[in-house]
Amino acid sequence: MIGMVLGWGLVALGLIGIILDLGGEFLLGGIPPEFWWVFALWGLSAAGFAVVRGQMFVFVMKRLLEAGFVIFVIATLTFLLLRFLPGGPFDAEKALPPDIKANIEAKYGLNKPIAEQYLSYLGSLARGDLGESYKYIGRPVANIISETLPISFQLGIYSLLLAFFIGIPLGVFAASKHNSLLDNGLMIFAISGVALPSFIVGPLLVMVFSFGVPFSAMQGLLPPALWESPIYYILPVLTLGLRPAAIIARMTRSSMLDVIQADFVRTAKAKGVAEQVVLYKHVLKNSLIPVLTISGPLVAGVLSGSFIIEIVFGIPGMGKHLVQSVSNRDYPLILGMTLVFSAMLVIANLIVDLLYTVVDPRIKLG
Amino acid sequence: MPISLSIPLTISLAKSLNRQLAALVILFALVGTACTRGNGDIEVELPGGKKTKLALKETLRVPATSEPPSLDWIKSSDTASAEITSNLMEGLTQYDLTDKELGLKPALALKWEATDSGRKWKFTLREGVLWSDGVPFTAQHVADAFKHLLTRETAASYAYSLFGLKNAQAYNQGKVPWEEVGVKITAPSEITFELDKPMSFFPYLLSHHATFPVRLDVIKKAGDRWTEPENIVTLGPYVLKAWQHDKIVFLERNEKYYDAKPAIKNIVFYMIQEIGTQINLFDSGKLDAVHTLPSVELRKLRTRKEHREVMRLGTAYYGFNVTKPPLDNVLVRRAISMAIDRQQVVQMLAGGQVPLTSWVPTGMFGYEAERGLSFNPDKARELLKQAGFADPSKVPKIEIRFNTNEDHARIAENIQAQLKKNLGIEIELKNEEWKVFLNTLKIDPPQMFRFGWQGDFPDPDNFLNLMVSHSDNNHTKWKNPRFDELIAKGAGTLDREERKKIYSEAQKILVEEDVPVVPLYIGVSHLLVSERTENYPVNAMSIFSFKATRLKQ
Repeated sequence: MIGMVLGWGLVALGLIGIILDLGGEFLLGGIPPEFWWVFALWGLSAAGFAVVRGQMFVFVMKRLLEAGFVIFVIATLTFLLLRFLPGGPFDAEKALPPDIKANIEAKYGLNKPIAEQYLSYLGSLARGDLGESYKYIGRPVANIISETLPISFQLGIYSLLLAFFIGIPLGVFAASKHNSLLDNGLMIFAISGVALPSFIVGPLLVMVFSFGVPFSAMQGLLPPALWESPIYYILPVLTLGLRPAAIIARMTRSSMLDVIQADFVRTAKAKGVAEQVVLYKHVLKNSLIPVLTISGPLVAGVLSGSFIIEIVFGIPGMGKHLVQSVSNRDYPLILGMTLVFSAMLVIANLIVDLLYTVVDPRIKLG
Repeated sequence: MPISLSIPLTISLAKSLNRQLAALVILFALVGTACTRGNGDIEVELPGGKKTKLALKETLRVPATSEPPSLDWIKSSDTASAEITSNLMEGLTQYDLTDKELGLKPALALKWEATDSGRKWKFTLREGVLWSDGVPFTAQHVADAFKHLLTRETAASYAYSLFGLKNAQAYNQGKVPWEEVGVKITAPSEITFELDKPMSFFPYLLSHHATFPVRLDVIKKAGDRWTEPENIVTLGPYVLKAWQHDKIVFLERNEKYYDAKPAIKNIVFYMIQEIGTQINLFDSGKLDAVHTLPSVELRKLRTRKEHREVMRLGTAYYGFNVTKPPLDNVLVRRAISMAIDRQQVVQMLAGGQVPLTSWVPTGMFGYEAERGLSFNPDKARELLKQAGFADPSKVPKIEIRFNTNEDHARIAENIQAQLKKNLGIEIELKNEEWKVFLNTLKIDPPQMFRFGWQGDFPDPDNFLNLMVSHSDNNHTKWKNPRFDELIAKGAGTLDREERKKIYSEAQKILVEEDVPVVPLYIGVSHLLVSERTENYPVNAMSIFSFKATRLKQ
């Protein structure tokens, strides 16, 4: 029950996102970030409602408490590891005189003992204050996240929709035509999708669809970069979605092949249930568990934006901060990024666990 | 995707695959078709979410390699920010970009003169200049800027650039009140600076963004958010209209600008980190320039008609840690410097770099073509023998360390091979991530290391000063009192001929006698500039000020 709500909620979220983009502001650009938050809240409250009604309330609470602890440990470890990393945030090619550097460090409290810095960090974290970036002077980390995360989310959701809508049907199709030419062809395609790194796929797509190599008719068809309106989304979404689509297709196929030989499938077929119904209702539903398991980390990874894709397509998302903050030794930003990423991973895994009970009622949580 | 192409494709797919899949393909094809649309005008979002369309023919589109860390010109210390602030603001002086030696010309100051043999500098300010909110510009705004820059709580990186002012450093450390610092408003539009000791290049400091005037009332009112478009007040050729973080910065012509109004109405900076992506956008007509080009693709890019190149005011060198054997022996250092053929390094890089044996870069005031140890392998081997290493295999292993970067690796490998061939000594290469490398240089400099220097202003002092004993940028542990003395004397000398002589002697000590460093080459900037533009700023200082740039109609 709860899984139904959650599942449909997620799907509706994606669809509404698309309709918004294609609707009122057709082709004119992105969705105001507030919308995403409204939908996320809606999804969460719907899920919460379902959870209370079902008997999973205790399970979810327990998991959320665990999640809180996990995030606390991650924050602490990241904080400490950063201080052991050689090179500080204010080391630059032109070395600053010690006086000046001391002024800057004093401004950010870096001259205090580490224990004190840690406690004051935890204090402000508890108040929901992530601090100010060292590199982007005076810009709160929370602002950086709220300005870049929605864009990474947008890119991620489109790619996920693409991945699930292409990956699962392809997997089903390949499994149903097991060992046929089509099956082999699809799996070769899927393996290349997994194997090809996005920094090759991205530029390749740009070459074909923006610069018309080798078909000059396709020159200028799609813009090579930027993130202005839906036409700009196509190439990055394809690039980012291809890999998860291939992973999901392969996973769905192999898992379907296991289930297809099960007794209950033979029974269903013997009863004279239509082939399509057997495939979708009996086999697919029972094959989704492994697919769900890998979906958790996949979703978190895709939603937080892929660094490479954001760089290749010049997308103003969060991915580049995830990496650059480390080379800049921008402590508050690194911590903020780590927390966002781990929170997403934890939440995605929780949702996956909840979804298990939907696809397989035998699984008991708690 | 054009519909003509997608329909047959879809039909054939529908026949072979199942229906759901075909429906999906049709959906994507439709979205793709609907999305295909001509472009031309540029749409930007203004603060408050309102959108505005800019006509392409009056808009220049330029790349910024990163989000500007700060548009507060007093605090920022990076090139991405400077590219934008140099269009928003002006200092008392500015570079004459038409002058080969990059001299200065008046900006907010009409004229300036040194008295007390360079210890005092009097600047007469331009009258009738208005800030973008209509407030008249006064000498007080200059004094405010100096105070703000030097105040400890501001924590500005460039505060040290004014430490030559009387009591400035003491004020920065909180030891004296502001009134004792050598900044005095001597008439309504006249400001006088008093220095600790004479400084012949002082006017150059006033062309740097850290010293640009500032409005403390605005900063006080808006706090750290004063650089957002709705708060910022400037007086340069352009005003900030929009700043969508991590995405674009949009500038519009300042109708109140005191000088000739810029020809281009709008400038949009796109923040795109990857150079390859910038080039793609340039090639598809969405950017009007690319400001740096990847070195591995230069061979191809240099043949394009949009390609421009200019020698930079920046040098690359190798430093020795003069306390680590065998490099504590000056003869070994000289031998190594003589055994490196700079020409070969430059040819390998193939980016137009100019080989350099002296410390002061080519073309700048104080440059001497013959200065330095030129390539001479026979003499180098001779020197090594004199140093007690008749058998080069007896030379202890020397390590070259550099920060992880493809070009730096290629240079290090080239030098390793040259030293093996010309001297017969073994070199070990080691690379480190940038910040780790900086930390290594600070706490325990390796035997040999790669480094570079990007000049702040075109004066020999800016280059030679970094090798004095107390410099934080001297990672070689080399100290020479005579050299220190010469640099101090050069800074305080106003007569150009006399200065030249002083710097000549200093350079001789640095690159011919003591040799703590091996100069390698002068860098070159490579750009792609659209033929749509005229008079695009291509200069040694990488100052991207667009007030003189035009668009062809």
